[in-house]
Amino acid sequence: MHVPRTFRLSRQAAIASLAVFLAVACGGAPAEPSGAGNTSAAPVKGGALTFAADTEPVSFDVHVSSQDITGAILRNVFDSLIAEDAAGKFHPWLAESWEVAPDLKSYTFHLRKDVKFHDGTPFDAEAVKINFDRIADPATKSQLAASLLGPYTGTKIVDPHTVTVEFSAPFAPFLQAASTAYLGFYSPKTIAANAATLGSGGSVGVGTGPFVFTEYAKGQQAVFTRNPAYAWPPKTAVHTGPAYLDKLTVRFLPEASVRVGSLTSRQIDVAAAIPPANAGTIDGNAALTLLNADYPGGNYSIYLNASKAPLNDEKVRKALQRGLDIDTNVKALYFGHFKRAWSPLAPTTPGYNTALENSWPYDPALANQLLDEAGWTARDADGYRVKDGKRLVVDWPLLPAQYVRDQRDILGQAFQADLKKIGVEVKRPQADIGTYLERVYGGKADMADYSWSRFEPDVLWLLFNGASRPQEGGQNATFLNDPDLTKWTDQGRATLDEAVRADVYGRTQQRAVDLALVIPVYTQSQVLGLGKQVRGLTLDANAWPLFYDVWLGKTTQ
Amino acid sequence: MTALTLTRAPGRRWSLPLAWAVLAPILVAAAAPELLAAVSPIATDPVNALLPPGAGHWFGTDQLGRDLFTRVVHGARPSLLLGLGATVLAVAAGALLGLAAALGGRAADQVVTRVLDILLSLPQLLLALLVITVLGGGVANVVLAIAVAFTPGYARIVRAEALVVRRSGYVEAAKGLGLGRPALIARHILPNAVGPLLVLATVGFGTALIAGSGLSFLGFGVQPPDPEWGAMLAEGRDFLATAWWIGLFPGAAITATVIAVNVLGRAAQRRFTRRTS
Amino acid sequence: MRTLAKRVGAGLAVLYGAATLAFVSLQLIPGDTVSTLLGPATTASAEVRAQISAELGLDQPPLTRYLAYLGRVVTGDLGSSYQLQRPVWQLIGDQLGPTVQLAAAAMAAAVLIALVSAVATAGRRRQVRAAATAWELVAVSLPSYWLGILLLTAFSFQLPIFPVIGAQDLPALVLPALTLGLPIAGVLAQVLREGLEAALAQPFAVTARARGLSQTAVRLRHALRHAASSLATLTGWLVGTLLGGAVLVETVFGRSGIGALTLQAVDNKDMPVVMGVVLLSALVFVVISNLVDLLYRVIDPRVRA
Repeated sequence: MHVPRTFRLSRQAAIASLAVFLAVACGGAPAEPSGAGNTSAAPVKGGALTFAADTEPVSFDVHVSSQDITGAILRNVFDSLIAEDAAGKFHPWLAESWEVAPDLKSYTFHLRKDVKFHDGTPFDAEAVKINFDRIADPATKSQLAASLLGPYTGTKIVDPHTVTVEFSAPFAPFLQAASTAYLGFYSPKTIAANAATLGSGGSVGVGTGPFVFTEYAKGQQAVFTRNPAYAWPPKTAVHTGPAYLDKLTVRFLPEASVRVGSLTSRQIDVAAAIPPANAGTIDGNAALTLLNADYPGGNYSIYLNASKAPLNDEKVRKALQRGLDIDTNVKALYFGHFKRAWSPLAPTTPGYNTALENSWPYDPALANQLLDEAGWTARDADGYRVKDGKRLVVDWPLLPAQYVRDQRDILGQAFQADLKKIGVEVKRPQADIGTYLERVYGGKADMADYSWSRFEPDVLWLLFNGASRPQEGGQNATFLNDPDLTKWTDQGRATLDEAVRADVYGRTQQRAVDLALVIPVYTQSQVLGLGKQVRGLTLDANAWPLFYDVWLGKTTQ
Repeated sequence: MTALTLTRAPGRRWSLPLAWAVLAPILVAAAAPELLAAVSPIATDPVNALLPPGAGHWFGTDQLGRDLFTRVVHGARPSLLLGLGATVLAVAAGALLGLAAALGGRAADQVVTRVLDILLSLPQLLLALLVITVLGGGVANVVLAIAVAFTPGYARIVRAEALVVRRSGYVEAAKGLGLGRPALIARHILPNAVGPLLVLATVGFGTALIAGSGLSFLGFGVQPPDPEWGAMLAEGRDFLATAWWIGLFPGAAITATVIAVNVLGRAAQRRFTRRTS
Repeated sequence: MRTLAKRVGAGLAVLYGAATLAFVSLQLIPGDTVSTLLGPATTASAEVRAQISAELGLDQPPLTRYLAYLGRVVTGDLGSSYQLQRPVWQLIGDQLGPTVQLAAAAMAAAVLIALVSAVATAGRRRQVRAAATAWELVAVSLPSYWLGILLLTAFSFQLPIFPVIGAQDLPALVLPALTLGLPIAGVLAQVLREGLEAALAQPFAVTARARGLSQTAVRLRHALRHAASSLATLTGWLVGTLLGGAVLVETVFGRSGIGALTLQAVDNKDMPVVMGVVLLSALVFVVISNLVDLLYRVIDPRVRA
């Protein structure tokens, strides 16, 4: 079931509204976002919108799936207890108010009393308990939601509309987690009747959200219709009452050229993941516009396996870090639409450390010097460095073609060429996902590349904490238990004190880069293409489009 | 099919020389790519990315500014080797299986024929994908996968040919003279089966080349950054609307090679049919 | 009747063999099945892993699993996809439609092109026949994945004639069907043209013309008869080419279908799905070749002997 997230191995927490203008940068008319947020006209009810996604959920069970796309699409079907805005502030949603225990081991939520599921079942404390217990049950085989619940011990029903969620240890990231679609609520009725088939999507996916999941055809589309009874949007939304759109169709078009082609030929209204190479085409089209927002969380970075030779030598790791011409290659391949990264954390994430910017520029001379110092002085016939008769080779497995996004395979080839210049051979075996996992998560590979989007610096725990062992479901592909990194990321998740969090997360980023455990490459950006008839489209803090406030204006052409 | 080989195909006079004219530079490229393109096929030059075909770059450049002509030239060897390796393996395995069936007695024949029936009922590409699912990708596994997919076809033909030869009078006569089985195979059956097998292998090489590059296109074959025609096509797919040349030239190289090989194969087939009929 | 029983028996043997082949392949896969099916971005715990292992019966000895597997296959239970967590027959059933549509359209396009080409060129002047041989040669030598890229570039991007997407409507089917059908058309055209050339040289063709039938009518009638018989003899090859070709064509055009499903399964080592597709193609092969054979006997009584 899991489906490796296609491209960006990320878990995303989709959050309620926000941040349209997170970064409406790039190429397209930023000042006059005719698609987005044009409020000059009164919204019109009705119409059908087609959105083309680049990936397809493997499982539509929001409690099971770890894919971004699942959370992004099902945000329309499931509401959360609370909503988070772009500044990281929390607002009421299905919970009118809440209290956090001083020891961060229990959270009490006071629920709205007027909320009903699509099947008419009232939403209450019992429903919250059933859903959270289901997520924590090993039989559910949750790949993400369970980890969002952290050290969950149970939910106590205080009264029909009050619940207390309890943990065995202090768990600060819970509020953020509770705002994600992954901790959304299925109707207890559908859980009782269809627990095993929720992953297949369609009408069994009964939630409380603004859209009803009506139909799913694998490989083609998922169809959602307006929930006419909807009256409980989060405070972060623009309007109240039911959604404007009658129908929302999500088409799955993995081929970038196909997505762009069908957008320009007006077969679809909105397309996700426009390749930067095609952004110009969209921009030059009077009927279309671009919306661009950086993903928060873990940047797309290369993680170096420091547990085995040759990368257990810090000098060699540093040489690789300084031997990659990231600026030039990222610019050439993404035409400036993706920013090069300096920290493992994306700039839009709370706690981002700006001091790292420009602190480790491309320096092939230094890289060569470091490799010489590390003893890799001799060169073989092919120009690669040799020590004790062994060539300096790093193994960097490539995901199966289906999972490669943003032309990362091509970018990898550019890095291979860069490292060849300093005498390092990079091998990029491409195999099926099982072999990939075994090599990368089993610690046999030397390098691994991924991104991990989540609007929360706690991703650093996942990436660098010693307990986040890949063999046991973690994501620390550096295979190093650095006492400082582990201590700081533990401290960060045990406090709600902003100053402490900023301090420990800032130091974590600095140290990870200093030890050259990570080579941050670029900040992923959601480049959405949309027809100008699409109004009111905003992106949430996770850079995914929100359709609740969207309406269709007259086509400008 | 005999009608085809017996009628005088038109345009034969120029088709053979033309096929060689196409194949010669491709063979040179495979044998010594440095002769045709001195630059490294993996050296990047991001500043000159996505240049259209022109004087400096005959086939244009790709996303990383690599010269496409150089990459197509250097891609010849891995591409041809995928097809050649698979064909050689498949022919060898097919010959073994076919001979075993024809000469190994009833039981062996039954078993081999049944197995062949099963394998022949599956599409070749699916069979190859099944092998890749089990073994994983990579050049060696792709070669093996295609070989497995093509073996049943060759085996069936060898078996049929061997049966014909075995039943013909002179083998019986040779047996009468006290010739042992190995000698029989070596002296009579193999030489008779070799002709049709070679002809088939030539045409089969074209198919194997298409299959090999196809699997690379799907991401199972040659590992980056080494150039291979099918893998290069896959890399060009995101640029159909903006940089058509990336998707054009590697495919043209595959097609030209296969056409030339097919022309040669058909010529060999005609010559062979004429000789035996 | 006896031949019928024999044919059914042979068909069943092929299916049994395909099922066994699929099972053996599963056993040959190295590595931990549970990790394979969990994928890379997972935070699944040891309990979850144990749960999955028990559900799949991975703790049983191989022979037990083989017999249990055969039993399930016989009752039509192909297991559940590791990755998609849905019954395999349901997944295949969902994806069958688009692929059948594509294959039928490709077949129709191939027959039409081959007929036109053969009728127009058989027995004509040297240059015409040279042109015919040339296009047939090019058609059979074109890799479908490249042809698809060329057609997309030309007719969807440079000249926006055909839509890029739309699995359901006819215009979106044109380019994929041509891509899949053209190599088949090349083979068919050659077989037809040569058959037609041989037929036209025979006395009855001359008599028919003497009876006042037009040249085209005579050609068409023979071409159709030959088309029927060559289609029958090529059935096995056709089924394989259409099914195998679907993997590449569906990839190039981003279509859904059995091919896309297969590729996704191979990339994820989702063996239950790969095994299901193997069984499906063996079944399709057995059913179609027997059907065609039967039809052919009805149409042409001479074969009965």
